[in-house]
Amino acid sequence: MTDLSHIRNFSIVAHIDHGKSTLADRLLEECHAVDQRIRAEQLLDSMELERERGITIKASAATLHYTAGDGEDYVLNLIDTPGHVDFNYEVSRSLAACEGAVLVVDASQGVEAQTLANTYLAIDANLEVLPVINKIDLPSARPAEVKAEIEDIIGIPAEDAPEISAKNGINIRAVLERIVADIPAPQGDRNAPLQALIFDSQYDSYRGVIVYTRIKEGMIRAGMDIQMMATGAVYKVVEVGTMGAGTLTPAEALGAGEVGYITASIKTVADTKVGDTITGLDNPAPEPLPGYRAVQPMVFSGVYPADGAKYQDLREALEKLKLNDASMSYEMESSIALGFGFRCGFLGLLHMEIIQERLEREYNLDLITTAPNVVYRVTKTNGEVMMVYTPLDYPDPMEIQLAEEPYAKVNIIAPQEYVGNIMELCQNRRGEFKDMVYLDATRVELHYEMPLNEIIYDFFDALKSRTRGYGSLDYELIGYRPSRLVKLDILLNGEIVDALSFILFADNAYPRARKICEKLKENIPRAQFEIPVQAAIGGKIIARETIKALRKDVLAKCYGGDITRKKKLLEKQKEGKKRMRTFGTVSVPSEAFMAVLKLDED
Amino acid sequence: MAFLIKRPNKTPLGLYIHVPFCRSKCQYCDFYSLATKDDSLIDGYLDAVCDHIKEAGELAPGYKVDTIFFGGGTPSFFGAEGIAVILTTIRRNFDVDDGAEITVECNPDSVSDRLLRRLRAEGVNRLSLGIQSDDDEMLKKLGRPHTYSQAVMAYQRMRKAGFRNISVDLMYGLPGQDIQDWAETLDNVLRLNPEHVSCYALKVEEGTPFAELKDVLNLPDDDTQAEMYLTAVDTLKGRGFRQYEISNFCRKGLTSRHNLKYWTGGEYLGFGPGASSDFAGKRYSLKRDLQAYISGIRDGGDIIEDLQEIPNRERAGEYLMLRLRTSQGIEAREYEKMYLLPFAPLEEVMEKRRRLYHATQTDTGRWVLTPKGFLVSNDIISDLLLAQDGSEPLKKL
Repeated sequence: MTDLSHIRNFSIVAHIDHGKSTLADRLLEECHAVDQRIRAEQLLDSMELERERGITIKASAATLHYTAGDGEDYVLNLIDTPGHVDFNYEVSRSLAACEGAVLVVDASQGVEAQTLANTYLAIDANLEVLPVINKIDLPSARPAEVKAEIEDIIGIPAEDAPEISAKNGINIRAVLERIVADIPAPQGDRNAPLQALIFDSQYDSYRGVIVYTRIKEGMIRAGMDIQMMATGAVYKVVEVGTMGAGTLTPAEALGAGEVGYITASIKTVADTKVGDTITGLDNPAPEPLPGYRAVQPMVFSGVYPADGAKYQDLREALEKLKLNDASMSYEMESSIALGFGFRCGFLGLLHMEIIQERLEREYNLDLITTAPNVVYRVTKTNGEVMMVYTPLDYPDPMEIQLAEEPYAKVNIIAPQEYVGNIMELCQNRRGEFKDMVYLDATRVELHYEMPLNEIIYDFFDALKSRTRGYGSLDYELIGYRPSRLVKLDILLNGEIVDALSFILFADNAYPRARKICEKLKENIPRAQFEIPVQAAIGGKIIARETIKALRKDVLAKCYGGDITRKKKLLEKQKEGKKRMRTFGTVSVPSEAFMAVLKLDED
Repeated sequence: MAFLIKRPNKTPLGLYIHVPFCRSKCQYCDFYSLATKDDSLIDGYLDAVCDHIKEAGELAPGYKVDTIFFGGGTPSFFGAEGIAVILTTIRRNFDVDDGAEITVECNPDSVSDRLLRRLRAEGVNRLSLGIQSDDDEMLKKLGRPHTYSQAVMAYQRMRKAGFRNISVDLMYGLPGQDIQDWAETLDNVLRLNPEHVSCYALKVEEGTPFAELKDVLNLPDDDTQAEMYLTAVDTLKGRGFRQYEISNFCRKGLTSRHNLKYWTGGEYLGFGPGASSDFAGKRYSLKRDLQAYISGIRDGGDIIEDLQEIPNRERAGEYLMLRLRTSQGIEAREYEKMYLLPFAPLEEVMEKRRRLYHATQTDTGRWVLTPKGFLVSNDIISDLLLAQDGSEPLKKL
């Protein structure tokens, strides 16, 4: 076991795309933690999706062995953190496992919203923050200015911050030296009762859940009986060890100050909640480590198999995904229109997209997803207070005494020339302006309070497009406020398609209803008869379009004996019909549902 | 005693010869052809096709060729000499029926009296003339290398040369065309009194010049195209034509026997780059590349693009897809006997379509599409394929 004085536990924080994962890879390489032959694009982001999207979705960790300039051997534990607002709680738990954080700032972009947000999280966790200026080889790099920004805006010294290029391996050792020199060694008593913080866990089909943990006090070893303090679950430890890049190295024991993994025949990650404390059953700690909270999904959406017969497959896929993602929730739901499916809860829209993509890719499912919604709070006239997770449950307007929707505090950072655009956007999204702070001569931070519902759809994309990509966003929930809400129903051929209903702010209903009807008209194929598409609130029609009857769908020329190509066309058409849902007499392809989700993109 | 000798029953076979040469490429065309009359290319092509025919002839001893079709490209532009050489080669290597239908596609700009005389002499008995439109401006837009009066002259030459089975090709749904224009085209062309008319809707195919221009072409919308189609059906019916396929109309029973093979599951062999075949249970097409075809035939290389053995259920799907294009339509007993699959789920689809006036049933119980049904035939066929998908094979008939 390494002496405490020779251990450094740190994580890397950054705004998205500032080079966090690339730096992590270079540190691993520098410490020979990586076999060059197996080098994937980015080593710590192991999920295929993560690499594609260029963001870290789950935390991950690696142990590095570094011989420093002072000739001593150090153990450096790098704990990677997720890089998106949806996963802020996970970030905070990863940070709680560290004593320091390397703050990566892009030498040309400078400080951005998540630079700030993540640094504050690090400072809140009492971490030593070590700024590093990355991408100094870019022609647009302005390291001196960026250092000044860090000092002005964040208020931490940055004069000596290493200037590096993670991509080209410039100055990587300087970062390692600073980690050893500036980040405090962990403290802890290896003879005290065990307190180990869970900062991540992963499901492995052979070993069960692999729990990533930071030992705060005491020791843990194979064979020991342990208990999760929040869930109360008890296990016998099978194995403990440390992580390399993509490898696990068993060890005899882990002691205070160390970072490693444990396995204990745990069947689901839901039993190993991030932020929970592991203690020994025999000599338990009097109290858990601070900061645990149960993660609550904020965005809900109905997930249905495009082919109704695949319901069981979807259930099994969700069960498996849930093994590895405790922050997602799912509950059976049935819709008249779509049959059996699930109401799934997600941390945010990105999380939702990731889960959907994983279901479609890894489990080969075709899905129909209904419009995402937040959780509304409704007080009924009989005094009953209910949380509404799905439009299907929204009470009749006559029964509603008070409807409330969740609000969030929103911080936006952007160059000042876009302030007008941003204000217009936020106003359109019912944002309440709080204040605006000049971060430096050219950049401002705006604070708004805004309904969460307005943020989850496409706010971030809209912000990006109105600030030419320079705007950055961070938000957190601040509670419920009364609101004028209505439920909008969509009728096809006179019948309500419940899966297309959703709840929205009353003033937005008319324009949105019109847009939905237009989109559906574009996406529902013409049938043998005319189909009215209507939008209604409480039975009152507020928008209408008509899909004309199909007149022509024919391959006029079937000639020269080339039948194969025509056959493929008809085959495709047949497959398309398989994926259509029939509502009454109207067949709706799953694309139509997608189109409704993407309403605001044009 | 000759009558006691049992003659082997030979299977009918169609031959298609793809002639990939044109004076110029039309703006909408996606058939494989080259705008060239390069002698060495043409010689190379001719040798390759003839060698190919010799090879194939050896594989088809049990067949009798009853249709031959020269398509393209523009066979008339390629010329009578080459066609004559190919026909001679065919006769030497295949058993060609005396009454075989032999068609040559012609364009108005390459029809001469000499060509026609020679074709007659070689036994060609059916001509197909690509007129497309009676409007010179439109012909120009389409990239056709001829005027309408050239087309009329070509037609009259054909008659004068003694051809009694002439088909004309027309197109509708053309840029800026309205129903009135189309009705006039039909009127004008029908005055020529052809035995056979094909009316094709313009379809903008990917990779053609028109595909790039799609948005500025001012093409009639689907509803207008549907009207145009029904106008053609009505007009032709009024003039004594019988509609025997979605886009094909004939008088005096003069169907295109060759094309009917495509739609009724007959066997055919294709020669020349891009040609398709359905022979001995396999479908395949040849590469759309003249050089590759020539060198492939010469050196024994691979000229086949995509060869598929068609499983039973897929054949059954083809039956539905192709037969419903024709006035023969589909029939329960025939279908079940041929494919050992139940017709009942299909019957249900057809019943529904009957109620929409998309289909009718003849006295003999055959299901055929109405003109209105032809217009949405993809929708109907894909419904049938879907209904067929889940069906269990019949245990017994």
